[in-house]
Amino acid sequence: MDWYPLYNSLRIALISSVIVFFTGIFAAYYIARLNRVVKGILDVILTLPMVLPPTVVGYFLLLLLGAKRPVGMWFQEQFGIKLVMTWYSGIFAAAVVAFPLMYRTARGAFESFDETLAYSGQTLGLSNTYIFWRIRMPACRQGILAGAVLSFARALGEYGATSMLAGYTPGRTATISTTVYQLWRTDNEALAFQWVVVNVMISAVVLLTVNMLEEKNRKERR
Amino acid sequence: MMKRRRAAAVMMAAMMTAGALAGCQSGQKAADTGAGSGAQSQAVQESTEAVQESAGAAQSQTVQESTGAEQSQAVQENGEAVQKESVELIVFAAASMTETLTEIAQMYKEIRPEVEIIYTFDSSGTLKTQIQEGADCDIFISAAQKQMNQLDISADPSVNTEGLDFVLEGSRFNLVENKVVLAVPDNNPAGITSYEDLGTDKLNLICLGNDDVPVGAYSIEILTTLGILEQLENDSKITYGSNVKEVTTQVKEASVDCGIIYATDAFSAGLTVVDEAEEDQCGQVIYPAAVLNISKHQEEARDFLDYLTTDDCGAVFESVGFSIAR
Repeated sequence: MDWYPLYNSLRIALISSVIVFFTGIFAAYYIARLNRVVKGILDVILTLPMVLPPTVVGYFLLLLLGAKRPVGMWFQEQFGIKLVMTWYSGIFAAAVVAFPLMYRTARGAFESFDETLAYSGQTLGLSNTYIFWRIRMPACRQGILAGAVLSFARALGEYGATSMLAGYTPGRTATISTTVYQLWRTDNEALAFQWVVVNVMISAVVLLTVNMLEEKNRKERR
Repeated sequence: MMKRRRAAAVMMAAMMTAGALAGCQSGQKAADTGAGSGAQSQAVQESTEAVQESAGAAQSQTVQESTGAEQSQAVQENGEAVQKESVELIVFAAASMTETLTEIAQMYKEIRPEVEIIYTFDSSGTLKTQIQEGADCDIFISAAQKQMNQLDISADPSVNTEGLDFVLEGSRFNLVENKVVLAVPDNNPAGITSYEDLGTDKLNLICLGNDDVPVGAYSIEILTTLGILEQLENDSKITYGSNVKEVTTQVKEASVDCGIIYATDAFSAGLTVVDEAEEDQCGQVIYPAAVLNISKHQEEARDFLDYLTTDDCGAVFESVGFSIAR
């Protein structure tokens, strides 16, 4: 069994969830401070990828990143690199689709944060940076971790946008999800089943992690 | 304490970069959803066509040929006297016939207004599986004999391995013939000019159909004849599309250096053809058509297939590069 799809899937999921981790927290922290109208609009835009079919997300991404589209052409001219049909194309797809999960959970965690803690930090002369990393983040730790795990799981399971952006090139862009589809299509049920088992096991571990984090959270609150 | 400060500063810098990325993302989205500049909206318009095709590639494309006006007319007629009941004919056809058959359905509407043609276009392999899984279907038009044979009980058991019996006896015939060609994007960025070039360093990525898709099977035959299939597979230079329209879109969007598709799809998409497969490379590319024995409207289905053999339809097929097979 060629393990490339597993390696590629994990690589895409890890990189995109790291990107999403920082962008999601950043967005959650700053958007919460904006005025209601702007907040409402940005919130809708940033959450859309979660409710849109992945093929629609893939369509938008192709309009931007395709070899004949504005961003794709710019990268081609400046750096001579293609943004579609490569292994890292999967990162764009996975990051956009997983972003709302991180953003939403982080925002939820920040909203339940007791602001008086931040104010008391300020009265003690602590910098906002210090307050963010040493007070706010630890207090919201569980929620943010759960968001990170969920977005990792979502990135790992991305299929629609990935298949449109990265296609299926064995040994290059193949991920677990695209491999399962291709194997099923080409009547290789046995091998498809093996990959299904691999995928189910990874996802089960991820969900178990989320549950354990939540349980820990509940116990600490008590 | 200083150390912590510095660590915090580094983290902040990382966040700012990430934030800038997020800003880009939302900015891009805003451009998509908003009216955008003239250039952008034009780009969106131009791409609509291509994306429609890729939507078809991702899922079966069902085209319904009927207008509300006609239906209400039919209802009126029914109200007066039950003369002509409207009939729905479900036609499963190879993706490469999308343009021609859609045009023919428009023509047929004038001759037989009571017959409503409903198409599903996808790869013949997918359609064959859907028929086998019990999809409602009256007519099947495959892009290769293989998929039709797999449904035809009178075919050799070595081909029809599952012993499927779906083809209505005596209704099967060869409809059209196509050519398998090598197509490249505008301006041919990789400079590929022949099938032989596929074995050279000029090629970085080629798009083929899956081997359950007729065009994919033909492509594999061509590359095997040239003796370069294994090399391309080992170098991971092949990306697979799930039907011929997906391959066509990948070439049109210049996502790949070239693709092996049908002459007709290259024509419809306005792609440059640099090479054409000879008969000794992949055999004849024949499209068989047949009425299925599960059809509830076998008479109407036969009539429609007869219509496809008329000169009017022949002209439509030939206009995009099919030749008539008989």
